[in-house]
Amino acid sequence: MARATRLSSRIDFLLFIGCVIIALVTLVLPLQMREPLAEVLRRSVVAPLVNLQSNAERWHTAWQLSEERTARLDSAVMRGFNATALQTENDQLRKLLGLGARLHMGFVPAEAVHNAVREDVVTTLTLTAGTRAGIKVYSPVVSPEGVVGMVQTADPSISIAILFSHPDFRASAMSGDGSSFGIVYPHLRQGLGSSGEYLLELRNVPFRTALAPGTMIYTSGLGGTFPRGIPIGVVLRELKTAEGWTRTYLLQPSVNPAKVNAVMVLTPQRSPQRMDNVWQMVARVDSAAHGVVSAGDSIQRHATADSVRRAVGDSVRRAAGTARPDSAARTDSTPRHRAAPTAVADSTRPRRQTTDSSRPRPVRRDTVRRDSARRDSAARRDTNARRDTSARRDSVRPVRPDTMMHR
Amino acid sequence: MNWNAVRTAVICAILIVLHYTVRPLLAWNVSIDFLIIALMFGAVRMRPGLAALFGFALGLVSDSLSPGAFGAAALGMSVVGFGASWLKAVFFADNLALNGFFIFLGKWIFDLIFVLVGHRMHGAELFMQIVVWSSLSAAMTAVAGILAVALLRPLMEVRTA
Repeated sequence: MARATRLSSRIDFLLFIGCVIIALVTLVLPLQMREPLAEVLRRSVVAPLVNLQSNAERWHTAWQLSEERTARLDSAVMRGFNATALQTENDQLRKLLGLGARLHMGFVPAEAVHNAVREDVVTTLTLTAGTRAGIKVYSPVVSPEGVVGMVQTADPSISIAILFSHPDFRASAMSGDGSSFGIVYPHLRQGLGSSGEYLLELRNVPFRTALAPGTMIYTSGLGGTFPRGIPIGVVLRELKTAEGWTRTYLLQPSVNPAKVNAVMVLTPQRSPQRMDNVWQMVARVDSAAHGVVSAGDSIQRHATADSVRRAVGDSVRRAAGTARPDSAARTDSTPRHRAAPTAVADSTRPRRQTTDSSRPRPVRRDTVRRDSARRDSAARRDTNARRDTSARRDSVRPVRPDTMMHR
Repeated sequence: MNWNAVRTAVICAILIVLHYTVRPLLAWNVSIDFLIIALMFGAVRMRPGLAALFGFALGLVSDSLSPGAFGAAALGMSVVGFGASWLKAVFFADNLALNGFFIFLGKWIFDLIFVLVGHRMHGAELFMQIVVWSSLSAAMTAVAGILAVALLRPLMEVRTA
């Protein structure tokens, strides 16, 4: 037994020594002899393993390529998102620059930092400018689109503003033509609209004035906080309320507070001044165009009345056998001349005043050409009433909106 | 039929296949040497001479894919297999940490022989390879070996009766 054990141990040792010697021999073999040996192994015993390894490496390469592609795609998507965000920010800043150029003076630009706590309805903003920059409590906060809110707390370096969505927000407001006044409140009953927009209410509008949907509402300057002429929003519809003597309208604000990133804070030096020339350009052009149209209608009505009167007068004179002196035709020309500019001047006033031709009003030289009106009246002497009417209608030059804006 | 030998052969084959499939997929700088794990598991179930022969065969397979040091892996694995078979009593101990340590030792000795005999590195590079990379690779192999032992223990029970 012991001999057998010793024998097997010797065999084991001999095997081990043999393996070591063969391994050492293969190590010292020249490359030309080692390579064929390795090739024989690779083509026979190791071939399946080599195949497995090459497949595994191919999978690994494919996986790496897929990861690289995914990473490239993610990077491209991220760049796309950043580009969109940058474009939006650029647009906002460009608008803000334009607003600053129109305001000229009396404003402090500030970055609007939204609260870290996410709110369904944003009601306050932290502004990166404070009393050191000239901001005071109740300073109006505006954006290129219109009213944003007002400063509630002013610290040396930062200030906190309440937005128009805040329950404490109030602003005295008026329609674009100045015919209707009211107070703007946040629309708290619904909070956010169906599409997530913030809504406002224009309350206490006199019952006699009705505002059509789409009417632009501006600050009136009566409250003392906001200067006159800053856009607040657009009338959506009238709200039914229990009060029977005033109207309440639902407004779509011009500004979306959730998207406000940069604002202008109007300083006390700027606040009392009117802002008509800053935001209301487009609104005024629209109003002027409407006014010109209504003036044309008014002139036509007057001309028709005049021609009827003249025809009656001529027939009476003819019946009496007296010729009508030319100068007599001028007797009614004065009120006619007065009526035309009055109607045009009324373009920015309530429509109910347009027919009031008895009150003399300042004539706007740029709306109706005086010489054309005069030429008109001269031509009227020799023509009948119909032609006269058409000539007078032509005498009013339609004012193009772009020229109004240029003025 | 010797089922123990069959089971050992199957497990060794699985480990060899893993060496040529999982290792390229992982492609880590510090790779797991499943061939050493297979050798250690097989060696403790063989006589030392056969273990040396098994190591020699595995080494030749490994060398065939790196002809530059043809024979170095065969020498290293022969030594490791023979040594593991001699120390098989240690592997009978039901202690995972001890098994892991011997797998670590076997891998590190193999790397030492492979690097020294293959004459691939010199100086600081050789020192770094032996002390840092071989040690790390041995540690990874030991961890994988422990996992393999833990998972395959029911199959690998050695019946002494």
